[in-house]
Parts: sequence; structure tokens; C-alpha cells
Amino acid sequence: MENNTTSNEYVRGTLKTIVLNLLAEHDRMYGYEITQEVKERTGGAIALTFGALYPVLHKLEQEGLLLTESVEVDGRLRKYYSLTHRGNETARTKTNDLERFIDAVRLLLAPRNLATE
Amino acid sequence: MKRLQENRIDQISKYLQASKLDPELLPEILDHLACEAEESLWDGQPFDQIYRDMVKSADAQTLLNLSVDHQNLLAMEKSLNDIVFENRNKSYGAYDLRNGYGRTVQRSVVMGVAFFLLLVMFPKLYARLTPDPKPEDIAYIVEANPVDIKMEEPPIPPAREEPAPVQKSVKSVTPEVLPDNKVIVEELPPVVDELDNAQPSTETVDGVEDLDVIVPPVENAPAPKASAVGVESRKEETFTHVEQSPQYAGGNEAMAAFLRKNLKYPRPASQAGVQGKVFVQFTVGSDGKIENATALKGIGFGCDEEAVRVVKMMKDWMPGKQAGVPVRVRFTLPIAFQLD
Repeated sequence: MENNTTSNEYVRGTLKTIVLNLLAEHDRMYGYEITQEVKERTGGAIALTFGALYPVLHKLEQEGLLLTESVEVDGRLRKYYSLTHRGNETARTKTNDLERFIDAVRLLLAPRNLATE
Repeated sequence: MKRLQENRIDQISKYLQASKLDPELLPEILDHLACEAEESLWDGQPFDQIYRDMVKSADAQTLLNLSVDHQNLLAMEKSLNDIVFENRNKSYGAYDLRNGYGRTVQRSVVMGVAFFLLLVMFPKLYARLTPDPKPEDIAYIVEANPVDIKMEEPPIPPAREEPAPVQKSVKSVTPEVLPDNKVIVEELPPVVDELDNAQPSTETVDGVEDLDVIVPPVENAPAPKASAVGVESRKEETFTHVEQSPQYAGGNEAMAAFLRKNLKYPRPASQAGVQGKVFVQFTVGSDGKIENATALKGIGFGCDEEAVRVVKMMKDWMPGKQAGVPVRVRFTLPIAFQLD
């Protein structure tokens, strides 16, 4: 549980990028699908809660990066999200930014390894 | 894949509604939870257990946060109007008016400015449009002008000059008897000069005639007569218009008296009641004799013959004169026949 909360802390800053990146890989996704994808890919290391995911999705939609369409599936309305053209560009830049940031953090976290070498 | 039954879904939906989840979010969250539940069902968990877990994870606080987040998000888009009209009757009309106020103002400003500009620019536009026909008008005028210019361009004076001497020369050379050689020799101006000098010595006949028309008469009035004897076989030139027209000796009144005295109304004409004018044409010779009297235009019934007879009876006239020299003149005399 504790592990989960700490991971959530990091996830909070990168969630937007993660969502954009996932949507860039897929044509369209709905909320639950995104959480499942994240869970499967990370082997459960990162678990998105709907409480964190949906506000981000709505915010991206309002910013004009996402398009939504509601489709009725099994008698329930399912809301699919897809990237707009601008969303695609943003996904690319954000992903690059995050990668660079991760590299930087790695450098910060691994000075000892470098020293031993 | 196992499906959640309708009543289960209703149960979840009711729970979410009870937790005061924003209605706009409800379908999406419901789908999400339903998917989760189905996944768990797939794993073989009983629904009760799943439902309990769900309520635990999606507790009231989480749902409230979701709603608040959503509200905040919407609030960013909300305008002052939405806040003013919150919990009021929006369908009344005032809301629409206030909502569309910005657009209305924008549109009216654009239209107003456009109209104003159009009004201001109209004279210029009109001026810019009207000159187009103007060049066309001028074009038409230009079309007419060349015609005038063409009339001026061909220099007529030289053309006149050329034929003029030719005509003179032709006239002077008229004598058909002479061969062409002489015509060529007699280039006009020098020949006239020569004749000027040569005339007294009585040279060629042609030369003299030429001189008759142009220069000499005052000096040598008798000269032509002298030469005329030789030339008489040739036609004496007959004028129709002369400087001094021939006249009946004694004047027009004397002529009128003579006509009155000698004219007799032909009987057939008086019987038929014919009256009118007979135009008698005759030539007054340079000696004043009347020749070739004919009725040009008559009225018939013997009147024409009578008029000609009387004219032939007339005494010699005073011949017409050209440049002081008596010449033959063709003369037309109207004689009126009138019944009393």
C-alpha cells in the first residue's frame, strides 16, 4: 500500500504524458482500457485509479488535445478518447521531455555507480 | 466474458447517485466500475465481495473529489453569465440575449464599419468604375477623327495645281489639226511669253486664240478679227457666261416693245387657251448677229415657232464681251404668251 502511494506521487506528475503516449499508440481508448494497459505493461507497478485518471482526461479534452465519442456498449455509454492533431504533437514533445527528465534523474540517482566505475 | 446483470449495474448506478457524483460524469465512471467488476467476476469473485471492494475504492470522498475537479474544470469555461444565471430560468430569453451579446456586438460592429467604409468609399468606387466607359466614348470619337485627318492629309493643292495647267494646256492646244509634236513643244508658260512678243507679227493661229482668253485684248482689239478671217472655218468659242452679257440694242425695254409689237398670238394657241413661256435659245455672235435660234422649251400650238420667228427678226444685238473683247454668247430668252 505504501509502495502504491509513493508510486502515485510520481505518477501524478507524469500521468498526462503517460496518457498522451498511450493514446498516440492506439487509435482510441476508454478510461478503463487505459488503466488496464498501464497495469499490464508495468506488471502492476503503476496502478491508475479512476479518481486520478478521469480528471486528467477531462482536462486534456478541455485543452483540445483529445476528442471524445460516446458509444453504447452492452447497454452502457462508453466514452472513447482519441488524440487530435495538436494532441499528437503534444504527445511527442511531452514524451521527449519526460525521457530527458528521466535521463537526468538517472544521472542524479547514480553518481555512486559512476564513481565506482 | 461475463456480463454484469442489469440489476447489478443499477445497484452501482444508485450508489454513485447517492454519493452525489456529478451526473455528467456518471455514465463514464459507471462504465469504468462495471468493467472492473466484470474483470473481477471473470476471476471468479462473488459479486458481493466485488461490490464491497468497489465501494471501498470508490468511496464518497473520491467521488466528491472527482465531482469537484469536474466542476472546477467547467468553472474555467463558465462565464459571468453562467454564474449570474445559476439556478435561474435560463430558457426565459435573457440568458440567450446576454450569452449572444458579445457575438451580436461583434457582428454589428463589423457590419457598421463595413457600411461606413462603403459609404465613404462609394464616391471613389464610383469614380473608379465610371472612367471605364469614358475611354470607350473617347474611342468612338477617335474613330471619327481619323476620317477628318485623312481628308487633310492628301495635299489637295498640288493635285489641283497639276490638273489646272494640264487643262489649260489642253484647251489651248485644242486644235485637233496639229500633230502632237507641237503640243509637246509648246510648254505653256514660256510659250505665252513668246506669244506675248510674237503676236503683232501674226504667228500661229493657236497662239492668238490662247492670248485672246488670257492677256492681250485691250491692246489689239482688231487683231483677232484680222486673224479670224483665216480661222473662220474653225468654230468660234461660244460662251454661256461672260463678263458683259449681250444686250438688245436699246435695252430691255426696247426689246419688250419690239416683242410686243411683232409677236402675234398664234390662232391655235388662242383657241386652245394655251399660255405660258417659250424659252428661245440663240447665239449672239461677236458681231451682234443672232444665230441658231431654237425653242428650248415651249408650249406648242405654234407659239414656239412664232417666238423663234420674232427672235430671228430682231436687229443686231450688242455682243457680249469677255475681257473687253466681243465674243459669241449663247443666250436664252424667255418669251411670255399671255391671253388677255
